[in-house]
Amino acid sequence: MHIAEGVLSPAVLGAGAALGACALALGLRRMDGQRIIEAGILSAAFFVGSLIHVPLGISNAHLLLTGLLGVLLGWAAIPAILAALLLQALLFQYGGLTTLGLNTFTMGTSSVLAWHVWLGVRRLWPGPGGEKAAAFCGGALGVAFSALLTALALAFSSEGFIVAAKILLLAHLPVMLAEGFITMLAVGFIARVRPQMLAAGGSQAHKNSPHEE
Amino acid sequence: MIRHLTWHGPTYCAVLAYVLPAALLALLLLAPAEALAHRLNVFAWLEGQNIMVECGFNRSSPVRGGQVIVFDAADGKELLQGRTDDQGRFVFAVPDAVRQGHGLRIEVNAGEGHVNDWTMSAVEINEAQDLSHGFKSVPAARASAAAVAAPATAAAGQPVTAQEVRAIVAESLDAGLGPLRRELAALSSGQPTMRDVIGGLGWIMGLAGIACYFVSRRPRQKP
Repeated sequence: MHIAEGVLSPAVLGAGAALGACALALGLRRMDGQRIIEAGILSAAFFVGSLIHVPLGISNAHLLLTGLLGVLLGWAAIPAILAALLLQALLFQYGGLTTLGLNTFTMGTSSVLAWHVWLGVRRLWPGPGGEKAAAFCGGALGVAFSALLTALALAFSSEGFIVAAKILLLAHLPVMLAEGFITMLAVGFIARVRPQMLAAGGSQAHKNSPHEE
Repeated sequence: MIRHLTWHGPTYCAVLAYVLPAALLALLLLAPAEALAHRLNVFAWLEGQNIMVECGFNRSSPVRGGQVIVFDAADGKELLQGRTDDQGRFVFAVPDAVRQGHGLRIEVNAGEGHVNDWTMSAVEINEAQDLSHGFKSVPAARASAAAVAAPATAAAGQPVTAQEVRAIVAESLDAGLGPLRRELAALSSGQPTMRDVIGGLGWIMGLAGIACYFVSRRPRQKP
């Protein structure tokens, strides 16, 4: 879901960079300073995830992990994604330096949205089934949000929004399924091993933490 | 409030630190090598009087029906456009602008934000073309070459012109260089190597370490 260099006009790139900077500032302000190492580890997962192609479907789609990062990190997902995108641009030539701001915005925002989906589903459906459904929705919708936001950015290029959104969503359908399951497994595992970590997703989640001291 | 978030000992950090990237790396290693790259690769070369463009996400997944636009590199004018075939290839005749010393910029758009280009200089094209100049007379040249090979024929007395030799040499060169060109195209695809991946992981951990250092210097906020 990386937009390459030379697709979008400088105005769109500039607007994207400004939005990316705002998202980064919000993310840094709201993230917990104690969670840097977790953010780093998940940033590493995001960085490597882009090399893993989901062999199903018609198009060239790789794992995004935006939903997983959002669910596990909350706001800290945005700086984590920025670091991973920067290194992907420098080392793999995925995306690019001029599109870094825009890509950070589209994927960081979809992470935070996926996190809120996860929080919402958990609240509406308490219990073990709800936990699983929430994680699956968070993971799958993280990809869908990324596709929609990327399509929105591509709407300013020659491709229209509807066309781009349709192609991107169709191509990422298998990825959505795969990431739903990955997120479900990862979150289920962490819930068993270290439940505090899920409660610490963001400052807002602390209120619901059973480990409140 | 912050207290329970501080440091949970090595357990869950270790769990996360090892399990997640290890699982992904394992997947990566198990995945077939050609399923790795995602960058759009474009490569173009001269074949006789035509320019051949090849593009793909990697060797085994060519761009089908990708839009190819050829620009004049000197003044940015669009010269021609077309779509790639099932092998991710597009062939076009060398445009006249090249004879005037203008280079070509070949841009391929595979959709979904995947764009890349390849530039060919006029000198590069013209030199190669001059070498194979008289390509059309190759059958004639070949006939005379055969004649040279047969010493007993009357044609043996006829000297082979420099032009014909050049054409024969150019044709053999073209045939011999074909596989090499394909190799070069594969090499220039710049797939991420294991070195890039491990280097990147190290960078991320280093950045996280630096961030931890700065956070640890900040006076701890009371919750």
